[in-house]
Amino acid sequence: MKKMGILVSMLLVMCMVAWGIGFVPEAAAAKKKPILIGHVHAMSGAMSMYGISCATGGEIAIAEINAAGGVLGRPLKQISRDSKLSPETGLRESKDLFLNKRVDFLTGTISSAVGQAISAYAKRAKKIFIINISQSSRTTEELGHRYLFRIDTNAVPYFGYGPALALAQKWADKKIISLGFDYEMGHNGLRVFKEKYLQLVPDAKIIDELWPPLGTTDFTPYISKIANSGADAFFLSCVYGGGELAFTKQAWAFGLYDKMHAVQPCAGDVETWGKVKKGEPYPKGALATCRYPFWSIEDPKSKAFVEEHYNRVGFLPSYGAMNQYFIIYALKEAIEKVGAVDTEKIVDTLETMVLDTFVGKVPIRTCDHQAIMPTWFGIMKFTPDLPFPHITEVEVLRGESPYHSCEQIRKLRKK
Amino acid sequence: MRIEVIAAQALSGLSVGMVLFLIAAGLSIIFGTLKVLNLAHGSIYMVGAFICYTFTSTFAHVIGVFWWTLILAPIATALVGGLIEIFLLRRIYAEEMLYQYILTFGLILVLGEMCKLIWGVGYHTVSVPWPVNGSVPILGISFPVYNLFLIGCGIAVFVGLLFFMHYTGLGSTIRAVTYNREMANALGINVPMVYTGVFMLGCWLAGLAGTLMPPMSVVALGADMEVIIGCFIIVVIGGLGSLPGAFIGAIILGLLTSFGIFIVPRLAVAFGFILMIIILVIRPWGLMGKPE
Repeated sequence: MKKMGILVSMLLVMCMVAWGIGFVPEAAAAKKKPILIGHVHAMSGAMSMYGISCATGGEIAIAEINAAGGVLGRPLKQISRDSKLSPETGLRESKDLFLNKRVDFLTGTISSAVGQAISAYAKRAKKIFIINISQSSRTTEELGHRYLFRIDTNAVPYFGYGPALALAQKWADKKIISLGFDYEMGHNGLRVFKEKYLQLVPDAKIIDELWPPLGTTDFTPYISKIANSGADAFFLSCVYGGGELAFTKQAWAFGLYDKMHAVQPCAGDVETWGKVKKGEPYPKGALATCRYPFWSIEDPKSKAFVEEHYNRVGFLPSYGAMNQYFIIYALKEAIEKVGAVDTEKIVDTLETMVLDTFVGKVPIRTCDHQAIMPTWFGIMKFTPDLPFPHITEVEVLRGESPYHSCEQIRKLRKK
Repeated sequence: MRIEVIAAQALSGLSVGMVLFLIAAGLSIIFGTLKVLNLAHGSIYMVGAFICYTFTSTFAHVIGVFWWTLILAPIATALVGGLIEIFLLRRIYAEEMLYQYILTFGLILVLGEMCKLIWGVGYHTVSVPWPVNGSVPILGISFPVYNLFLIGCGIAVFVGLLFFMHYTGLGSTIRAVTYNREMANALGINVPMVYTGVFMLGCWLAGLAGTLMPPMSVVALGADMEVIIGCFIIVVIGGLGSLPGAFIGAIILGLLTSFGIFIVPRLAVAFGFILMIIILVIRPWGLMGKPE
């Protein structure tokens, strides 16, 4: 009985010691505990190419940083979740990431609706959320707040001011006919384009506006109208993806690209045109904007990035991959400057930071936390260098002129 | 307005109209004989388009693959239609119209989700086949040959169907069943088989439209909703159950939309609906339908 008692007591003590020992390594492990970065994106479905590409861009940055010792001695870790393009799902995953997985930062999304839902939550939860693709300017303008950042272009330079500046520089056409889907983004896109273009070329006119219903894939009567309108150029407002492909097929069949200038902002997207082969319809000679024309970027770090992305996932990077790569490095720099993972101090640091990237210096603007990413433009052609059509004669728009000014944003926020 | 411009706009409108005619003809024939308004007819057209994409991409190395697909894809679509008729529609012929609408509406959702599961949510393309690629100058304006081909197909199908209905034994049988089901049954005609056959014919037409459309557009989800409204406008204008009515209705809608876009682009979409409302008010059975 006595022996039993001693045995049990010894076992109990051993257990307590083991349990106690358990706590000590934790203190040491806290130093190696990873800094967690959540990533909510379209990881399945039609847009999954973007989600996977962004995640990959982040992983490449993380691999480089961890190989060099991590951030403050801690490794970085990215946790990707699928938003399924639904604000409810995206929000639910974000909450799970923050509350259960305890991520320190959140990044994402492609859908502006999902982005705005997560942004509203991040504002309440006082956690940093950085956008890597979603383009709606409203998110950072009217709905912007302290904890929201965008390291990415937005709809203003991509769909509106960028094409306006590019057209004014390239052809300065006076008579333009526009076509866009009859919904908010379509109408906004034209409004923003007109805002800038009519300022740059005051005697220019939008001679007509065509608004096919959203989802139209048969543009034939619109195209013959454009062909016979007497315009110098046609402008497509926010027509991308399948609708743009259908339009281009039909316009090509009508010889529209030979007849007049084409301003087709989304034609620069590798994501849409990457599978088109020589001989197939494409926006020949069109003026297009592009968010990451890696074929024209000389910096060897960019070339290495493209190669690494291709090796990992078997396709070429979207601009989102580049954005997520910059986001990871921006967070690294901010955390190291602050010396700790302190959200408030990191916000203060990020909002005046100038990122040193392989596309040049990119400042983050304090008034709206928008990174002043460059926008490229050029003429769509097939060249022997690449198997798909892409922009050539590439020029770049830097600085704030392709974006809404802080003054404009202040006015929008007052409304 | 210059004559070339009028011609170009008219031909554009006609080519759009002819694809819609093929779908609307199927819808009209099905209603005429089975007295079923197949709300899912647009979905069957979409299935045909996806089948066309699958054939052309799987057998892309075969010369003339599109022409083989033009023969096979509508047949495959008709077979899908046959299965729907035998296993689903037959059960509700005796029921009220409301059940037909509920069933065919449900089919829209089921077929849509099936397409999503099988083919995904992205868009797919089919190339314009030789020898109807390229363009021809019409009065000095470049016009795609494929659109002229579509107009030709529409006219050929219309003439073929008229001939079939009025000059063949099968056609007479179908017209007999349409005219008086009970009498046809009493005369030994296998009415259920005629019903299945007619439904399959309607689906064959939808499948044909689904095969002809992709070279000039894209194959994607949402194609069903895009066409079904135009089809309803056509059959209301032309008269439900009338084949010539569907043809005239399609021409009218195509031209109205096309010239509408030319003259008043912002209201062009409304013109078809406005005409439909006018017809419903003054002649509800349509231009070539028969009053009940």
